[in-house]
Amino acid sequence: MSALVFERISKHYRGGQAYRALRDDLVAGLGRVVGLGRDEPQIVRALEDVSFEIPEGQSFALLGANGAGKTTALKLASRITYPTTGSIRVRGRIGALIEVGTGMHPELTGRENVDLYGRILGLSRRDIRSRFDEIVEFAGIGPALEQPVKQFSSGMQLRLGFALAAHLEPDVLLVDEAIAVGDAGFQYRCVERMRELVQEGRTLVFVSHNMSAIESLCERAILLDHGRITADGPARDVVHDYLRQVETDLVAEGVADSIQGQGLSIVAVTLHDERGSEIEEASAGKPLTVRLHFQAAEPIEEPIFEVGLNDGRIGPFALASMLIDGQAPRSIAGEGYIDCTFADLPLLPRVYELWGGVRHGAGFGDVVDWQRLRFFRVSGDVDGGGPAAVSHSLANAPVRLPYHWGFGTGVSS
Amino acid sequence: MTAAAQQPIEQPVLEVVGGPGGLSREALHELWDFREVFWAFVLRQVKVRYKQAAIGVAWAILQPVLAALVFALFLGRYSNLSSEGVPYLLFALAGMVGWSYFSSATTTASESLVTNQNLLRKIFFPREVLPLSASAAGVLDLIVGAIVLVVATFAYGIAPAITWVALPLPFVLLIVAAGGAGLGLSAVNVYYRDVRYALPFLLQLGLFASPIAYSLDVVPASWRTPYAILNPIAAAVDSIRRIVLHGDWPDFPILLGSLAWSLFAFACAYAFFKRLERGFSDRV
Repeated sequence: MSALVFERISKHYRGGQAYRALRDDLVAGLGRVVGLGRDEPQIVRALEDVSFEIPEGQSFALLGANGAGKTTALKLASRITYPTTGSIRVRGRIGALIEVGTGMHPELTGRENVDLYGRILGLSRRDIRSRFDEIVEFAGIGPALEQPVKQFSSGMQLRLGFALAAHLEPDVLLVDEAIAVGDAGFQYRCVERMRELVQEGRTLVFVSHNMSAIESLCERAILLDHGRITADGPARDVVHDYLRQVETDLVAEGVADSIQGQGLSIVAVTLHDERGSEIEEASAGKPLTVRLHFQAAEPIEEPIFEVGLNDGRIGPFALASMLIDGQAPRSIAGEGYIDCTFADLPLLPRVYELWGGVRHGAGFGDVVDWQRLRFFRVSGDVDGGGPAAVSHSLANAPVRLPYHWGFGTGVSS
Repeated sequence: MTAAAQQPIEQPVLEVVGGPGGLSREALHELWDFREVFWAFVLRQVKVRYKQAAIGVAWAILQPVLAALVFALFLGRYSNLSSEGVPYLLFALAGMVGWSYFSSATTTASESLVTNQNLLRKIFFPREVLPLSASAAGVLDLIVGAIVLVVATFAYGIAPAITWVALPLPFVLLIVAAGGAGLGLSAVNVYYRDVRYALPFLLQLGLFASPIAYSLDVVPASWRTPYAILNPIAAAVDSIRRIVLHGDWPDFPILLGSLAWSLFAFACAYAFFKRLERGFSDRV
């Protein structure tokens, strides 16, 4: 039995101004009569012919870049907005967590808001009375309860809103990035609450950019791209595809063909395997040679080359530097190349940035500024059967060190 | 696993088909299902209103009294307006009680969708709950105003009569009229914010086009009935005066005719509202 069905749903918005003054319509109407300024209204296609079916009790995720139509899909399911064409069927009560903190009234106290806003969200008076303490504890607002909500911090407001919504007992729960609210402790309570509802057999539709949360919480996922479905399957596979697609887009973004320095330019950066033949992708666990092809206008004495690996965070996580190892060549001139070989690349398979720079002999002053030279992909398999194996190895700590766990006393396995 | 999960209860299926909405039997059912939400909105507005104001509920008394005083000072003294033989202050108060409800309820209701756009974009409920609860929250003021009027009547030495049992009728008429106006204007206000600027002006015109400062008798006899039916404020105020000030029965053809017309207008406004409802969250 399906909890939620989207059948050939399209949602188009009229672009342009959010709202018009009567004058604008009058002008447009007059213009049409006179035959002037016949500008077609711009149509934004948020969703285009989207169909899917979520069986009862399934935990389901919507993935996609910003503007792919995820939030629109949730708003359609919760009847906040309506489809342009197509039909939606929902079985049972639907509850949505969509930035709910903003709906509370600033002048009323926390207690009054729990009561009134709770009822507006769809909790019955009896539910509110019996679960009042639970809600307040979940939100963690304690002593502020009798103060007007306008004196709450924005985090407290959001937490209280989420706490209320989390205590709705919907058959279908829609969650939009709500766990980005509050401190780590609160986020943990939110994910636990979602897990609880899923275990009770409720249907979950989850929109997030947190891939490990999706992978560990959801069975199935669809990937949206510019309002269309591009993948539908087990959450783990779709997360994998999505992260790969993001990487591919990154690599395609490319890098300047030639990097100009002072009297020296790096005209190309190529990758090579242990036999010296050029490769497109590095392999995890195999040696990798980075070849910097340079062109020097005049001979340069003792140039200091540096190559770093970076995974998108600030600063390289691995660095090969002649400033450290002291292996600078006596001089370079004309056209040529310099190789830097990393032994047995201990990296998880994903896309990395290759950074580089060249300094003057004494170590002061740059010949070529420290900058990103190119992207490169490390290929290899994601192994492991943990709850977030794919997203964790594709998005978090990049270096793979051999390790094993030892179970001491007090541990049962 | 809970018992509910093991034995799924047959849940109703709701189908939403694309395209514009409209007024239907299902829509009315749904409004009934959301009556708790409606009351929560009413309560919320009443609480907020009297929390922010320093003298709180006293405003509900002061508003019509002060307006009536102004009328009494300027119009009552320096013009030859007939006040149907009762003291002009009391006569104006009877008019202002009805008028201040109508104008404040219509104003807050017309703004209600825009004021609550945060909720509109986050939570589902039948949208008419907002303007309707805004007009309903004003009923408290109307009741307070009615009590003030009754007290003032006693103070002027007028005794209650049996006809006072008909007093709820003109009040119901005012509520229906304000409800319909609020529904229609709130929907238009989502699309054209001009309503915000035009409404105060229209209400000012309405105040002078209705027999608040003057008596309905001022209107020529042949025009009186159609005018009072089409202008529910006129019908309501005239009925309140007949009942409270004179101890007479209201002019039933006018009162009931106006009620029928207001109900019809309300239904049209409601249908109009439901027709536009689906676009509100996208456009507000």
